[in-house]
Amino acid sequence: MSTAPPTPGTFSVEDAWKPLPGGFWQIETAQHFLRRVGFSATPEAVEAALRTSPKAYLAKAFTPGAVLPESEKLKEFTATIAERQRHIYKEVEDEEEKRKLRREIQQEENKLFRSFAMDWFYYARQPENSAHEKFVVFLQDVFVVEQVKVKDPAQLYSMQQTLRDGAHLNYPELCKNVSRQPAMVRYLDLAQNTAKKPNENFARELFELFTLGEGNYTEDDIKEAARAFTGYRLKNRNEFFLAKKIHDKTKKTVFGETGNWDGDDIIDITFRQPAAKTYLIRELIKFYLTEETVDEAYIEALGEQWADHGYSLSYLVETFFQSRLFFHPSFRGNMVKSPIHFYLGLCQDLRLDVAPFQGRVIRSMATMGQSFNNPPNVRGWLYGEHWINSTTISARRQLVDYLFATLNEKKLNGNDQRDLEAARKAGRGNFLVTNERLKQVLGTSPDDLAEHFTTYFITAPSRATYLETLQSIIGDTQAEGANKRVRYAIIALLQSPAYNLC
Amino acid sequence: MQNLPLTRREFIRGTGGLGFLAFSGVAPAFLARSAMAQTPAPERDRTILVIIQLAGGNDGLNTVIPFTDDRYYNLRPTIGLKNNLLNLNDDLALHPACKPLHELYGDGKLSIVQNVGYPNPNRSHFRSTEIWETGSDSETYRREGWLGRYFDNDCTGSPKEDGTDADPTAIHVGDMIPQSYLSANSHSLFGMKHSGRFDRGTDPADLAYEKLLQADHIEGNASYLQHTMMNTLVTERRVEKIIAKYKPQTSYPGSKLAQSLKRVAALIHADMETRVYFVSQGGYDTHANQLKNQERLLTELSAGMNAFQKDLDAHKKDEQVLTMTFSEFGRRPAENGSGGTDHGTAAPLFVMGSKVNGGLLGESPELVTDVKKDLEYSTDFRGVYSSVLDKWLEADSSKILGEKFEHVPFV
Repeated sequence: MSTAPPTPGTFSVEDAWKPLPGGFWQIETAQHFLRRVGFSATPEAVEAALRTSPKAYLAKAFTPGAVLPESEKLKEFTATIAERQRHIYKEVEDEEEKRKLRREIQQEENKLFRSFAMDWFYYARQPENSAHEKFVVFLQDVFVVEQVKVKDPAQLYSMQQTLRDGAHLNYPELCKNVSRQPAMVRYLDLAQNTAKKPNENFARELFELFTLGEGNYTEDDIKEAARAFTGYRLKNRNEFFLAKKIHDKTKKTVFGETGNWDGDDIIDITFRQPAAKTYLIRELIKFYLTEETVDEAYIEALGEQWADHGYSLSYLVETFFQSRLFFHPSFRGNMVKSPIHFYLGLCQDLRLDVAPFQGRVIRSMATMGQSFNNPPNVRGWLYGEHWINSTTISARRQLVDYLFATLNEKKLNGNDQRDLEAARKAGRGNFLVTNERLKQVLGTSPDDLAEHFTTYFITAPSRATYLETLQSIIGDTQAEGANKRVRYAIIALLQSPAYNLC
Repeated sequence: MQNLPLTRREFIRGTGGLGFLAFSGVAPAFLARSAMAQTPAPERDRTILVIIQLAGGNDGLNTVIPFTDDRYYNLRPTIGLKNNLLNLNDDLALHPACKPLHELYGDGKLSIVQNVGYPNPNRSHFRSTEIWETGSDSETYRREGWLGRYFDNDCTGSPKEDGTDADPTAIHVGDMIPQSYLSANSHSLFGMKHSGRFDRGTDPADLAYEKLLQADHIEGNASYLQHTMMNTLVTERRVEKIIAKYKPQTSYPGSKLAQSLKRVAALIHADMETRVYFVSQGGYDTHANQLKNQERLLTELSAGMNAFQKDLDAHKKDEQVLTMTFSEFGRRPAENGSGGTDHGTAAPLFVMGSKVNGGLLGESPELVTDVKKDLEYSTDFRGVYSSVLDKWLEADSSKILGEKFEHVPFV
C-alpha cells in the first residue's frame, strides 16, 4: 500500500480504461482480478486464468442465459399462489379459517425464501458462477428490495433473475425491466401510485439510487416523474400490467422535457442527463475497487465511453475489469470483503461445499451483517469498513472456527439431519475441514508451508509481516502435534485482518 | 495475557500501563490513546437497563389470571388455571410457577404492566418481534431498533472514532445481535455466550490468532481491522475474566436464562460502563401442551429474575438496574384443540428493580365471550419504552420513538 492512488498527473486519464497490457497479466494481477471479480483466487484458478486472458475470462464468466435453478416447490408455489389467495378472499367466509390459511401461506413463504437463499449460496459458490453472481449482488445493492417487506419468494426469485439477465442488457433497459418487477412494484409502492394520489417513492429512488444520485434532480422532477409511473399494477399476485384507468395521461415536464410521458419515457429522458453517465460507475468503483474517492477525471472518461456504447452493461463490465486503472497497485489488497464474499470465499479456498444447515448459514450471514436479500434499508449495504465492528468480527471468527470443527451428527436437530441427508444424496459431503486433509501438507517444511499459506490465502501487502509468525506457529512439521499446529496456523490466518481483505 | 484489567478504570489507572498486553509489536494506536487519556468521563452511577425477551409469544391470560371472571374459564375449559394461584388483588393472580416473582411483587420490586400491545396487531412471530424491537407501528417498517436509536442519540463514541470508549455500549447474550440494537451509527456492541469454559487465552488456536494480530499493519483497512479485532479481544478477555472471578451472592438456577443473568450481574458488579443488556428465553410458542410448557418456562423466568434481583441487592447494585421483559405477542383468549393457544395480541409485561413503584399498572384486558375474538390492548408498548427512555435512561423518547407516548408510571 505504499503505492499512491492514481491521479491524472501520474496516471494518464486517456490510458486508464485501456486494457492491461498482456505482459502485466501475472500471478499478482490475476489474483487481484479473481478476488475482485469473484470470491477467491485458488492456485488452480490462478493457473487457469493465466492460460487465458482477462477478456476471455470475462466472456466465459458472464454467459447470457445463466439461470439459478428454481426448486420444484417454488415453481409450484408460484403457479398456485394467486388462486390460493383468491380462494381465501372470495370463498372462505370463516375469519378463523381465513387467518389459518394466510398463516400457512406466510409460513410457506418463509420456508421457500430460506431454501431460495440456500440454493443461491450453493449456486454462487460454484466457481464458474461466481463472477456473474457477484455482479448480481452488486445490482441488488443498487436495485434494493427487502425480503421483510416483499416477502413473496417467487417475486424475489424473479427479481434476482431479472438482475442476472440484466448484466447483458443496456442499463436503461434493465431499469425498465426492474420497474415492472413485482418485487419492486411492491417494495417502492408503485401499486399505490395513481393519478389521483401519486406516490413518489419509486420516482425518487429511480433518480437518487438507480441512475443519477442526489443533487441531480429537483423535487419537481420527482413529482412530475411520479405521475408518469402511475398505473403500474400487479394482477394474479405476480403479473405486471399497466392499468390505463389510473395512469395519468396528462403532460409532464421532467428535466425540462415536456410531453405525455409514461414510465419508460421517463427512464429514457433520465439517461439523457449527464449525471447518468457517471452514477453507476461510481457505485461500481465502490463495490469492486475502493472506498476512497477516485479522481473524477477517470470516472467522467469512462462515463463518456459508456454512454457512447448505449449504456451497455457488458461493455462496462468488459472495460472496467480489464482496465489499467482496475489493476493499479494502489487498489490491491485493501478492500474489506463483504460477508457473502467472506463466506463463499472461504468455501472456495478450503474446497468446501456450502453447509446444508439452513439455520446456521442464514443466521451466520445475519450476524456478520449481510442477511440474504435483506439490506438495512433502501440505500442498501454500505460496504467497506462498515462491515466491521466487534460483533461482526466475532461472527467471522466463529464461522472460521465452525468450518474447522468436527461435525457431531448426533447433536443435529431433525431439520438439520434431513438437510444433511438430502445434501449427501445430491453428492455433496465436504462441509468441514477434516484432519485427514490437513495431514496431507505435513511433508513440507514450516518455511515452505508458511510461504504457501500466505500466497494462497492472503494478498501481497500483508504477506511479509505474517510469514515469520506463521512459521513459528507451525514449528517443526515432523514433531508431535504438528497436525494441530498447522490447523491453528490456518485458522488464525483465516481470522486475521489480512484474510478479511482482498 | 495474565493480568488483564477488569474495567476501563482499572485499565487506565493500572500501574502496568500498556505492559499488560503481551503484544510485543507496536502498541495499537487506540490502546495508546486510551492509556494516555487519563481523564475518563466522570464515573457516576449510571442507570442500566436489562431486557429479557420471552421469545415465541407468552400467554398473558395464564400469566396474570383473571380468576373471578367466568368468561376466562369458559374460554379455557382445560387450560384455565384454578389452583395455587398467587393473588395480586381480589380479581387477579399470578401463575403458580411465579412464586419468586410474586415475592418481589410483595416487596414492591416488581411492577406488572397489564395488557400491553399496539394497534392493528400482527400475528407473525418475525414481524411482531420486529415491531417490538424497532418500536414502530404495525404499518411501518423500520430497520433500526429502539435501543439502537437511543445509542445513536445519547451514546456517543464508536470504537473507531473514540479509542477511549473501551467498554461496550450494549451487551447481549447469544451470537446474534438483537434487532433492538441495530443503529444507524456504529457503536461498540458485544455478544457473549450464556455458558461455556473460559479457555480463550490459553487455547493454542487463540494464541496463534493473537500472535498474528501483532503483525505490523501500518495503514489502510488492515490497520482498521486489526484495531477492531484487538479491541474485541481485549473486551472478550476482560469479560471472561470478570465472569470467571465473579462470586454471586445468591445461587442461580442452572437454566440458560439464569446463567445468562448471572453473567450480566457479574458485568454490572464490575462497573462496566455498558448501559443496556439483552438476554433471551425461548420456547413460549405454546400451541400445544401449554400447561406443562409454560409452567416450566415461567418457573425458569421467575427463579432467574428473582436470583438476579437478590444478587444485585446483595451487591448494592440494585438501585442502578431496571429489568424489563417483553414478548412479541400474547396468545388467543380461547384455547385451541391441542391444549394450547394460538398467536394473539396484548399481554402483560414485568418491570423489576428496587426503584420501580411496584403494583399492577394499566387496565386489565376486557375478556371476550366470542372464541374467535382477540384481546384489545390498553397500554401501548411504546408508552412503556418512553417511560424507560425518559425516566430511567434520561433520554428523549420523542426523538427516539418519533412521537410522544403516554408514560406508564413504573418509575
